[in-house]
Order: sequence, then C-alpha cells, then structure tokens
Amino acid sequence: MKTASAGTLESMDCLVTVTEAAPGSGLVVELEGNGVSRFRSAMEKAVRDTLEALGANDLTVNVNDRGALDVVLEARVETAVKRLRGER
Amino acid sequence: MPLNALGRDIPAFIEGYGKVKPYRGAFALQPSGNVVGPRLRVTNADRTDKVLPDLKAAIAASGLKSGMTISFHHHLRNGDYVVNQVIDACAEMGIRDLTLFPTALFGVHKHLIDHIQSGVVARIWGSVNGPIGQIVSAGGLGEPAVLRSHGGRPRAIMCGDVHIDVAFMAAPSCDRYGNMNGVQGPSACGSLGYAFTDCQYADCVVAVTDNLVPYPNAPISINQTCADFVVAVPSIGDPAGIVSGTTKVTRDPLRLLIARYASRLIEASPYFQTGISFQTGAGGIALAVTAFMKDAMLRKGIKGSFGLGGITSYFVDLLREGLVDKLLDVQSFDLGAVRSIAADPRHVEISADMYANPWNRGAAVNMLDVVILGATEVDRDFNVNVNTEADGALLHGIGGHQDTAASAKLTIIAQPLLRGRIPCVTDTVYSVTTPGECVDAVVTEYGITVNPRRADLVEACRGIRDVPVISMDELADKARRMSGPMDPVETTDRIVGVIEWRDGTVIDVVRQLKKK
Repeated sequence: MKTASAGTLESMDCLVTVTEAAPGSGLVVELEGNGVSRFRSAMEKAVRDTLEALGANDLTVNVNDRGALDVVLEARVETAVKRLRGER
Repeated sequence: MPLNALGRDIPAFIEGYGKVKPYRGAFALQPSGNVVGPRLRVTNADRTDKVLPDLKAAIAASGLKSGMTISFHHHLRNGDYVVNQVIDACAEMGIRDLTLFPTALFGVHKHLIDHIQSGVVARIWGSVNGPIGQIVSAGGLGEPAVLRSHGGRPRAIMCGDVHIDVAFMAAPSCDRYGNMNGVQGPSACGSLGYAFTDCQYADCVVAVTDNLVPYPNAPISINQTCADFVVAVPSIGDPAGIVSGTTKVTRDPLRLLIARYASRLIEASPYFQTGISFQTGAGGIALAVTAFMKDAMLRKGIKGSFGLGGITSYFVDLLREGLVDKLLDVQSFDLGAVRSIAADPRHVEISADMYANPWNRGAAVNMLDVVILGATEVDRDFNVNVNTEADGALLHGIGGHQDTAASAKLTIIAQPLLRGRIPCVTDTVYSVTTPGECVDAVVTEYGITVNPRRADLVEACRGIRDVPVISMDELADKARRMSGPMDPVETTDRIVGVIEWRDGTVIDVVRQLKKK
C-alpha cells in the first residue's frame, strides 16, 4: 500500500496521511485531534471538496488535527495527494 | 423553563442541588438575616495538647460520619498530599457518601476518581479540573458539581448555604495547640487566604502538618481558637508542585502584542495615575501586562498603591522597587512570593472573605482599579465563560474572575482571538461565568474592543496611537470567518455543573456530554 503525508503536529497545523485503497473502495475520511469536537462537519467538507477537485478516488485519508484552519487543511490534503501521485 | 436575567434556561429545581435562585443582575440580591456560626466548644486548662497519633484517630475524634461535608484548601496546589490521604483514610474506615468542599482541585487529585466511582465521594462543591472534570462532564458524579467564586465560597459558608462538618487544614507550620502559618516549614506555601473561613466556621477543624513546632508558633495566621485537633504526618506536600520556581512572562509574540495593547489601554484610562491598584493573575499574558505596566509607570513617574490577589515574583519586584506600596496576598504563586510574604511586612496575607466576599463590610476587590483576566470565550454581549472548553467539558474553576470583574473600575479580558481553530469570541458563550455588565474591554491581537456601556473608555481609546480599536461585532464576525461553522455541542438534559454567581444565584448550568 502506497502512502504519503503532509503537514505537522504543530499548533494550528494538521498531519494528513493518504493511503491507496483497493479499486472501487471509494474515499474514506478519518478525522482525529483537537478540532474534531466542534468542526467535524467543516473538516469533512474541506477534505472531500479538495479530493473531488483533484479527481482523487479509492483513498483513505487520515487527518490528525491540531487546530488547522480550512485553508491549511485543504493545502495539506492537496500536497499529500500530489506526493502520493509523485507530482511533488 | 424559567430564564434568568441573562436569558439562560435554568430549571427552578435541580436534582442534587435544590431550589434555584436565578441570577437577577450583578448587584441585585440583598442579603438578610445573620451570619451562621460553628458549634460551641469548651476547652479548659486540663487540655494543653491537641495532637493525635494519626489521621484516622483525628477522623474518628472529629465525629465524621457518612453523608457529611468536609473541606480543604488548595494552597498546596498540585503538590497537595492531604486531600488524597484524608479520603483514603475515610474509605478505609468505611465512611462514604461524602460531600467534598475544596477551594479547588488539581491534577494530583485524579487519585480521587476511584473514590468517586466507589461512592466514598458523592458530591464535589468546588472546581473540577482535568481528569475529574472529564468524568463529571461525562456524568460520572451522582450529583452536580457546584462552582463558586473565591468570594462566593466564603459567602456561602457565612450565610449558611454550605455547612462544613470537618475542615482538614493542611498547615505548613503548626504548634501542638493549633496555631498555624503557611510561611515556614518544608511545605511552605505562603498565604493561607482561602482557608480562613473554613477554619472559622467548620464544626470541627483538624490541622494536618509536617512541621510541628513548639508552642506558640509565630507568626500566627489561623489561631488555636479554631483548631480542635492536630495531626503530624511525614509530609503534607511536594514542594515542587506547591510553588513553581518561577512564573514566566509569555514569549509568544502574538500574546506579547495583546499584552502591549492591554497595557496601552490601561495607560490611556483615567485610572493610570499615582495610587493605581491592580490585579493581573499568573497567566502568561497577564504577567506580560505587569511587565509593560512597570515600564509605563517608570516612564511616567507614577507609583501604585497595591497589588492584589494571587501574587507572583513580578509583583514582589514592583513592591521592592517602590512601584507599589503594599501587596494583599490571598495566594502566593511562586517562590519569590512565598519568601516575600514571610519576610516583608508590606506584603500582607488576606483571607478569601476579605479578598472578595460580596456579603461582608467591604472586600479588597472593591478598592481595585484595574484587573486583567482571561477567558475561554467572550460573546457579543461581553459575557465571559471560563468554566467550559469548546467541547463543552467542565474543566476550570471560577477563581476570582467574577469578584474582580464585578468590582474593579476597569475589567479587561485579554486573549488571542483564536486558540487553534477555536474562536474565543463567539455569538453566545456556551456557559456564562461572568456577565457582560461587569466587563469593560476585550483585548485581542486585533486591538481593543470596548464595551459600549463605557462611553468614557471609547473616548479615551481615540487618543491611543498605533493601537487599533475594533467593535465587538467586527471582532465576532472575523473570528467566525476564520474558524468556519461550528458543530453544536451534543448534551443530554442532565445537569452536571451549577455555576453560581458570587451572590449564590445561579448564573448558568452545564449539562452532561453525550457519548461520542
């Protein structure tokens, strides 16, 4: 299984890890960390919108959050996906 | 459901708390009747020694039974050994269903969790922090925790809202007849401020010391006329947890900026003149404000009258350098403060009653010009929450927040706009600790936000160069834009925390969190 990650566990950042999944298994988003108790919906939307814009499919995305704003989360997801594809 | 004066939904009766007096305004409630008193005792010349062999002997002699209320003070902070030792002894003696009435609990008291689960501790009337706070928030305590401010607590004792059966009094120095002080011995903690009322009003007082000295002890803070029994134990606390070596000014540039804005606001206010009095607490931003104030006082050649509250080395420096004349100390935060209160007559120990009780002949907070406070959230109406975190967990006590905010001429809440992703300025706070009518200004990295009730301050802020002024609505909008939409906290209907205003009315309640 290929994986790639982006980000840190510093305050106001997050560590995003993406893992290839078997074809047809779709997108699985796992959220953990500080922001989840009050921002689960917003985080889920930010991650899925970014994945959709990148045309990503059949991935497991794990986010370990330390209070990242949406812009940070989106950038980390995009970078992790591009690293997985070998584009970065 | 009735609404209180802040529009909070508070039931008329709360299981495990009783009939509710709803909050009606910061100064609305007038007391009537008389102060209650402790049981009369007789002690004649044939009894010249109150020392008992151990804690169990003292618990037996005190007459402590299941269902009673026992009190503790928190001057030994995270180094405290006494609370855990006493509850362990109670458990071994088969005493259960106790009401714990501490002035605060700390991380070290997570040891009590087993006793909560086994029913030895049934109620906690005091702040619940850390692991115990998490358990209470999840519904693990049979009855709601009752939170009171540092002034509200002695008020509750003196008017009879709370009756203490036995006060276990950790005494860093004590003689065989019960004269105590906090400034000597291996577990010295400085001021014993929070403990005075307990010792004066409890039916029975057990002094617990690791520094038994010949009669009479000197100096005397709490004297022999209150003490029923004395117990000597090997140690009452871990000095490393009792006083921090140093309390530190923040080095975070964002927080330093906030501190600078706050001190500029104080400078521009009508209170910045010779005789100014202030309280700043021990948080990183507050300490930095103290440091900036010192510079401003030197620059403008003004001297203050007194510093109040929890005293740190920074305040001791102000005293030594002649920038304040006196320190009124209810809690000594660090080694520098402990050494100073032991040696300097200008550094005065005061009780929590004298510090902040609204129902006496006048508390020290009434003489306060400026206070800098923190918050977990502030809302558009300037209401402040310091008790619950963003996830709805009840994790912090009230401290002196309500008392100083209600009484100081200038109450400033200083905090970053966001902590991580969590906005500190919101539409409506999750729970109210201090009402907006007591808050004069909020200071964030975006500048000064003045409560419109204070037209004079709005005017004073016009004159401050290089400090932005931003309205509450702009600030709240900005916070929301940055953080994004928040999911609601999911709770059950069960009330796990009651937040009392300093006069004993209920300003808000905290409900049990739903399991995730």
